[in-house]
Amino acid sequence: MQTLLIALMLPALAIPIVYGVGKKSAKIGAIILAILSLVSLSLILTLIPTVLNEGQYIESYYWIPTLGSAFTLFVDGISLSLAIVTLILVAACTIYSINYMDEKKSLPEYYALMSLLTIGLVGVFITSNLLLFYFCWELMLVPTYFIIGGWGYKDSFKTAFKFFIFTHAGAIFVLLGIGAIYMLTGTLDIFQAQAILATKDPAILIWVLISFVAGFAVKMAIVPLHMWLPDAHGEAPAPMSALLSGVIIGAGGYAVLRIALGTVYTAMMPTGNEFLLVLSFFGVLSAFYGSLLALAETDIKRIIAYSSISHMGYVLFALSLFPFTEGITGGVLHLVNHAASKGLLFLTAGAVMHQTGVRNIKEMGGLASKMPLTAIASAIAAFSIGGIPPFACFISEFHIFVGAVTSAGADPSYYLPTVLMLIATVFSLAYVLRYFWKVFLEAPKTQRDDIKDPHIYMIVAMIALAALVVILGIYPGIFIDLIHAVTSI
Amino acid sequence: MNIIDILLPTVVFTICSLLTVPILRLIRRTKIDPQKFMVIWILITFSVAGLALFRIAMEYFGQSQSFIQIYSIDTILAPLSTSFLVDTVSVYMVIAYIVVGTITCLYSVFHLSSKESLSERYYALLLMVTGTVIAATFSGDLLTLFIFWEATAAGACFLLAYKKSRESLEAALKYLIMVIIASGFTIFGLSLIYGLTGSLNFWTVKEALLTTGNPQLLLVAFAFIIAGYAIETAIVPFHMWMPDAYTAAPDSASAFLSAIVDQGSYYVLLRVLLFILSPTAVVDWRFTVAILSALTMTVGNLFALAQQNIKRMVSYVCIADIGYNLIAITSITSIGLTGNLFFFFVAAMETALAFMVIGVFKKMGLETLEDMSGLGRKMPLTSFAFVCAALSFSGVPLFAGFIAKYMVFTSVLQSSVAWLAIIGVLNSVLQSAYLLRVIHYFYAKTPNNDQNLKEPKKLLVPIYSLVFIIIILGLYPDLVLNLLSSISLF
Repeated sequence: MQTLLIALMLPALAIPIVYGVGKKSAKIGAIILAILSLVSLSLILTLIPTVLNEGQYIESYYWIPTLGSAFTLFVDGISLSLAIVTLILVAACTIYSINYMDEKKSLPEYYALMSLLTIGLVGVFITSNLLLFYFCWELMLVPTYFIIGGWGYKDSFKTAFKFFIFTHAGAIFVLLGIGAIYMLTGTLDIFQAQAILATKDPAILIWVLISFVAGFAVKMAIVPLHMWLPDAHGEAPAPMSALLSGVIIGAGGYAVLRIALGTVYTAMMPTGNEFLLVLSFFGVLSAFYGSLLALAETDIKRIIAYSSISHMGYVLFALSLFPFTEGITGGVLHLVNHAASKGLLFLTAGAVMHQTGVRNIKEMGGLASKMPLTAIASAIAAFSIGGIPPFACFISEFHIFVGAVTSAGADPSYYLPTVLMLIATVFSLAYVLRYFWKVFLEAPKTQRDDIKDPHIYMIVAMIALAALVVILGIYPGIFIDLIHAVTSI
Repeated sequence: MNIIDILLPTVVFTICSLLTVPILRLIRRTKIDPQKFMVIWILITFSVAGLALFRIAMEYFGQSQSFIQIYSIDTILAPLSTSFLVDTVSVYMVIAYIVVGTITCLYSVFHLSSKESLSERYYALLLMVTGTVIAATFSGDLLTLFIFWEATAAGACFLLAYKKSRESLEAALKYLIMVIIASGFTIFGLSLIYGLTGSLNFWTVKEALLTTGNPQLLLVAFAFIIAGYAIETAIVPFHMWMPDAYTAAPDSASAFLSAIVDQGSYYVLLRVLLFILSPTAVVDWRFTVAILSALTMTVGNLFALAQQNIKRMVSYVCIADIGYNLIAITSITSIGLTGNLFFFFVAAMETALAFMVIGVFKKMGLETLEDMSGLGRKMPLTSFAFVCAALSFSGVPLFAGFIAKYMVFTSVLQSSVAWLAIIGVLNSVLQSAYLLRVIHYFYAKTPNNDQNLKEPKKLLVPIYSLVFIIIILGLYPDLVLNLLSSISLF
């Protein structure tokens, strides 16, 4: 069966259909895209038993043998979990767009770009070939540039420009790393490369590693490479912000784990863990920076954007616990949970902006009674982001800290970052509560009677994601099992 | 294979070129549309030449030798005679010329007004220049190379001056002066080499370099030759003529020249550096070339960043591309060479595509970045083609430019000048910055006026055939890379 190939190519198939149908009716185009991504999702879901039993599933096709490259599609528990949440988020964002974008122009182009973006988003997670990975990595970038630029808020193309330059610069360093791997090993498959890299000089590999980590950290928006994120997330249309924050920066975290740590760092067989400590330091820094700025910000979307920086700090901190499984499990689970929760939070923020027309939280307030459904969804998302049980992010943060404490027990140098990270969670809770209070609960300064819950499609998308966040919080077992099924990264 | 076979493509182009003027004059007296006629004429010429090339390629790939050398006199005097060389590199380059040449020539037909009486000379020159570039590429000794190359430069000069406006005459003059200086250098170097070795044949010279106990004087000679060709390739600091020339030339000529003559000049440099001077034991030129490469890229990109005139900007992109080519030359590996050749082809298509789109804009009187405001909505197809060229230039996957850059950067990581890869990478970012600026003008700005612009349907055919090839090669570069699989450095 060519399950993965079909799952990856369905969005490609969607491009002409969605564009053609979209010319007649953008709404039907969007529904087709959502259905196709759900079909992709169900195809990928059929692989769960194989992955649980055998650890991984591989399909390989002929591509560019001259460059040592095959079209290798691969899933293991980690990539499968991320691909699943990505496709759910894509479907939700597309459905959400039907109402959200109704006043905008050029919608066929918008949905065609969304389809193109979907290939990149899914492809990044399900390949073990570095060249194909890079293809998808950049496919996340180009449509995003045009979506932010064409359909975003004020100065959108300027913001998109900043986004493109930052992440493309990062990507080019990734390309340099990929080139170095090909030069050293003669293969572009990460698993084959790992074995050959182990025989190479670690003094060279450290440069490859740095090149990769620097490149991925830009996408992950780790402080001090985060400058693009608040603007891009703030000015993008809400569905795009949800995908950016949920999946695209998460892909950076996944790539750090899979390629930088899993392939290069493992091959170096390091004796000390200085490098990992540096990573955990940057993780802590990002967590503090993001949450403090989120606490000070008054723009509804920028608050959430800064929160993303903070949460990528959590993920990086979790990855720095490499190779202790519990921390990594927590990190990957956090990528999944954060994608769902943050996606939902952006969608609710978009709904608030769409219905009220304001984006400064000081001008909001009292919306809970006027937009009850949005408020419930937003509460679920916000509490999850704040790490309040029983919502999704609590589970993954819990795993991260269990892993961190275990690591600190083995190596005392982890004590300091662990303690600092625990302090950072307090700030996370603080900005989430402030956000929810200011937007939905506080007595409004000006009375407006014309505000109500948004239209049906936006509600459906938000409720679906809210249900997912709750399920992930109450019953995280399936993803944890999937991640535990991974034998080696 | 004999000398006739080798020269056949050139002969076809020359004959057709000479026939163009009288036949087109005759056609004008009849009721046949001269434009339609020229399309057919160009297609016939290129396909006949293509068939001739196909024969050479079949014969070459059908046998096991890594190269074929053909002398005009096959006796004891052979090393002194005119000689030709067929190997993977030259066959590949000629294929590239023919593919890109067909498209740019067709574009010229649609772009120029065929009713003008001058246009027939222009078409004749296009065909002639293609023929001479092919002969230069197949040549097997330095003198043949020199002669055909100068013929190309002369033809290019006329193409530049075609508009006869003040700027174009000035640019042509500038180019002519540079070419004359360059050929002075080259011919001086050639005379030294001939005096020292008694031959100009690639192999004899290479052997002389290896066996002579004291190759210093030979190296001096090569310094002159390379300086000469560096001027014609527009390597910084000898690049000044290029932006002027390409900006002032007719738009179709810029597309043609950047696609054919530019790539031809890289090829000449490549042949001299990699095939004759390749044993680094004799002289290690890698560091010098690396410095030149870094300079060329950086200067090209920085100047492009500052341009307001979009055509001038693309001219500077051409200069930056030379820098990327030199990166790959520096590596002296077969992957470097493969990457380099792939880059030639892709860069030829990208620059041609960019100039062709600009030609469409200029027809509407749009030249500066400011004029590009809002074109994304007024002329969606044309501006989308430019977006493809821009993304390919900046090395974004899906487009062939990405594979080319990837191979170039990969090759240099293996050599002793890996720092060059970092500079190349940073330059790549710079490049995407100014190209995005154009896209920004296309889509973000509101149009300056309500001028109603119509997209020229005919011009879009050659433009979109290039877009198509660029995307196909970006997804599946093996179509071209397979041709290069037997490549070797000797």
